[in-house]
Parts: sequence; C-alpha cells; structure tokens
Amino acid sequence: MKNTLISKQIRRNILEMAFHGSTVHLGCALCLVEIFAVIYRNHLNYDYFNPSDPSRDFLILSKGHGVMAQYACMRELGWLTQETLLNYFGDGTDLKGLSDSRVQGLEVTSGSLGHGLSVGVGIAFGHKIKNVSQKTFIIVGDGELNEGPCWEAIQFAGHHQLQDLLIIVDKNNFQAMDETAAIINQDNLKNQIESFNFNVMEVDGHNELEIDNAINNLYERRNNRPSCIIANTIKGKGVSFMENKNEWHYLRLNQALYDAALIELER
Amino acid sequence: MRDTFSSKLVDLAHSDPKLLLLTGDHGYGLFNSLREARPQQFINMGIAEQNMVGVAAGLSRVGFKPIVYGLSAFIPIRVLEQIKLDVCHDNLPVIFIGDGAGFVYSHLGTSHQSTEDIAVTRAIPNLIVMSPGDRFELARCIDLAYDSNLPVYIRLGKADRGDVHSKNLIFNLGDLIHLKEPDPSDTRVTLVATGSMLKMASLLCESFPSLGLVSAPSLKPINARHIKDLCEKNHTIITLEEHSIYGGLGSIISDVAASMSHATVKKLGIQDRFSEHCGSYEYLLSEHKIDFESLKVEIYNCIYSSEQAAG
Repeated sequence: MKNTLISKQIRRNILEMAFHGSTVHLGCALCLVEIFAVIYRNHLNYDYFNPSDPSRDFLILSKGHGVMAQYACMRELGWLTQETLLNYFGDGTDLKGLSDSRVQGLEVTSGSLGHGLSVGVGIAFGHKIKNVSQKTFIIVGDGELNEGPCWEAIQFAGHHQLQDLLIIVDKNNFQAMDETAAIINQDNLKNQIESFNFNVMEVDGHNELEIDNAINNLYERRNNRPSCIIANTIKGKGVSFMENKNEWHYLRLNQALYDAALIELER
Repeated sequence: MRDTFSSKLVDLAHSDPKLLLLTGDHGYGLFNSLREARPQQFINMGIAEQNMVGVAAGLSRVGFKPIVYGLSAFIPIRVLEQIKLDVCHDNLPVIFIGDGAGFVYSHLGTSHQSTEDIAVTRAIPNLIVMSPGDRFELARCIDLAYDSNLPVYIRLGKADRGDVHSKNLIFNLGDLIHLKEPDPSDTRVTLVATGSMLKMASLLCESFPSLGLVSAPSLKPINARHIKDLCEKNHTIITLEEHSIYGGLGSIISDVAASMSHATVKKLGIQDRFSEHCGSYEYLLSEHKIDFESLKVEIYNCIYSSEQAAG
C-alpha cells in the first residue's frame, strides 16, 4: 500500500532481497530510497491495479543498477509478493539484477547505461505530440552521465521543450571504480544541464520534504522547459558500514552483515 | 528505388497518422514529399543516432510507429546496442532503414561503407532483416515490414542499378524468389543474390545461360524449405552479395545447406577486409573482386569444377 512506502521498510526489503539473492549493487539501490518513495507516494499517477495502464505517468530507472530499490517499492505497492523477494536470483525467476522492461512496473531495460534517458525522452516527446500531460520521471546516475547519449537526450529534451519531463540525477559521487570527481568531474553539473534550457534544482536526496517541494516547485514553473533535480545522495545510505564505501557496489551480505544491517535500520 | 521509398512513405503517412519518420540529419531531398504532405510526421533528430533510436523506442511505447532512417554505416552499425536493448528486447514496431549499404559511398571511405550490417543484425532476436534488390522488391518489403508490427531492418544498397522484376510482387517473409531455373541438362548451378547484387546477378546470367537465378529479399526469417529445394535441384549454389562473406547471405544459405549432403555452396561477397583505396563504386567492386569481370571468372571456375565433379 502507498502508506507503507516509507524509507525504513523499503531499505528492509532491499536488504532482504540482497541477502537472499546474494546480490551486488546494494550501495546503488540504498541511495535511491527516498527519491522512489516520494515519487511513488506523492507524484506518480498510475492505476494501482494495472501498472501498465496506457494513461499512467512513467517512472523510468535509467540507472538500472539501483533496481532493488524499485522492486522494494513494488513490493509495498502489492505488485510483487514477499515470496518473490525472498527467491530473488533463484533459477527460473523473473527479477534480474538490472531493470528489465518485461517485469510489469519497470518501464525500460537498462543497466547498459545511457539508454533509459533517451527512451524516456521519447515517451515524453510522444505525449507532447499527442497533446496529453502525462508525466515522465527518469532517474539517472551521476556516473551514468559519462555516457554520450545522455547528453544527446538532454539537448533534444531542451530543444523540444518537454515540460512534463523530470530528470532526477542520483548524485552519490561514486561510480563503479572510483569517485566520479576522479574520473569525469561534474562540479558544474547544475549549470551544464541548465544550459540546455532545463529548470534545475539541487536537493538533499535523502530529505523527502525537500524532494517533494522541488518536484512541486519545478512542475509549477515549468513553462515549456523540462526539469531536473540534482539529488545529492549517499551511496549505501542507511547502513553505516556501507555509506560512501564504494566496495558495496560489489560486496554481498553474509548472515552476520545482514543482521548488523537490519539492527542499524531499527535504530 | 529512392523515389519508390519516398512515395511509399507518403502513402503510409497518409493512411496512418501514427507513422513518424525520424532521421539523423540524413536523406537530403529524400523526404521533400513527406515534409510537404505530412510535415508533422517528419522529425529531424539531429546528428545523434543513439538518442534517435532510444527516442524511437519511447515513441513506439506510447503508440507511434517510428521509421528510423540513416546510412547503414550508422543505422544499424553505430546504434546496434540501442536496437538490441531498447527496441528488439521488447519487440517494438520500429522500422530501421539503412541506406547506402555496401560501397555506395565509395569515395568517402570506410566510415561510410557498410559490409557487416546483415551479419550483426541477423544475430539479434526478434529483428526481421530485409535486403530488397529493386523497386518492386522494396515496395513489397516496406509493406511487409509495416504490417508486421515488429522490429525490422531494411538494407538499401546501390539504388540506381535498374529493375530486375517487371511488375508488382507478392512474396512472404522469408521467401526466395525464383527468377530462372538452371538448365537441368547442364551443370545445375544457381546464383542466389540479394540487394544491390541482384541486378549484377541477372547480367551474369546473360553470360552464363545455363545458370539459375534466385533473389533473396528477406534474409531473416528465411524459408528453409525453399533453400532445401534449391539444394536438391542444384549441384552448386553461388551466393552473391555486397556484404562480407562472413554472416551474410552466403552464411544464411550455408547454415541450411549444411544438412544437405550433395550441394556445394560457393560464397561470393566481400572478403574479411576494409576497402583500401578511393574510387568509383565500380572501382570498389573491382577492388573487392565482385565486379562483373571478376565474378565471371569465379562463376566460370565454379561451373567448370561442377562439370568435373559431375564426371
């Protein structure tokens, strides 16, 4: 149910999946929790009983590595069962380690980075041609913005004034092998995206009120410009021994670490 | 062929407002009729092919039927991953037109030449691959592609070689089109050609009257029964394509013929290398030994060795 879309419960679901599936990419999912919670709870228009309803708003996870956060929300929405979560990565199951559009509720196949942004921009462009005001939300990673097609999509969205498009950059300052600043510096990201005719706001990506206010504010003043939120997040947020520890892009939970992580969530 | 493409496009756009033509800033002049008749259905996506394919996938997800146009060096080669993931993974109805395939841009060099596109596209699940040889085949391919509501790649090669057929065609996906049976009393060798090499093949048949001639405008799916029939009727099948001998028509026919013990497949096409020199289209065909004279020698040798084998 929507009212159980609370960060603690979403993180609990993520840890549960990651432990039972013995999966990687925990840090990439934990930083997205508040962003997903606010969008699903307060902004996304969808048919609760039919996630594929054509008149829905679209929520696209371009940064496919964070997909456990979306699964965790879909569990709270009743779109996935507890059994499905506990069987994560089992032989013959459907939920993969990256976003796969054949799972109802996920919109794109991503993980190879720089794809979801263009597909989402295409969806937003299609809605504009049809003259309907369905919204498109796209979550991209800051590391993902290394990819050239992201910038092709951003320039196209700005040029075509896709005002019902909101891009959220999950700026956790890490990518697979290092800090983003050490690989491709993004100090000037806000100005860069603004220069493509976007309205851009920067928020604390773990402060739900700030995220909520920014989405409302950007929507009200959109005026033929697409919107972007740069959400400053902490990779591995919520579990102290994972926070800003890039090895949790790759590490798996054993029983002891799982127990320790759950205790932290209850604090 | 380009006029046929242009007029088919206008007809389809009139009959289906969901059709959108997307181009990566290519096709100067080709879309004048469409832009005049249905300007809202033409979108120049800029020189950004990867985004163009992603946007096409998004548009098709909300009900549109995009036709993505580019040079085949870019569509599909540059954007192969977008075609695979964004479009084919979900079986979305997007048509890709790869123009100028083979050595059409003979003077421009390797960046604009495309001799590997059939090989890579046919390995992508859900993707239909077509390679029409003249205006009549093109018109039928476009209809088949549009009506399929599936992802399709249509390869367009050298477009000014002239027609081989003389009237509108009805063939199905995968069909081989028999243009001429081999002389049964002679060596039983048939030439199977696709795309721009169809006209070349028909000219070669004038030099070798005993040759059979078959066109393969639809490369994936391909009707295995048709290939098996061909193997049974022939001692040797010669494939001819303006594409690498690795993974193209020759490989497609060989895949099926491998189960036929008595038929030999001789693959004529582009060997495993890039063009070395600049020159006319005809020059590049000769550099790669798929010009008329080189092919004549190859076919002569093939017929001669078939005769010897037949005893």
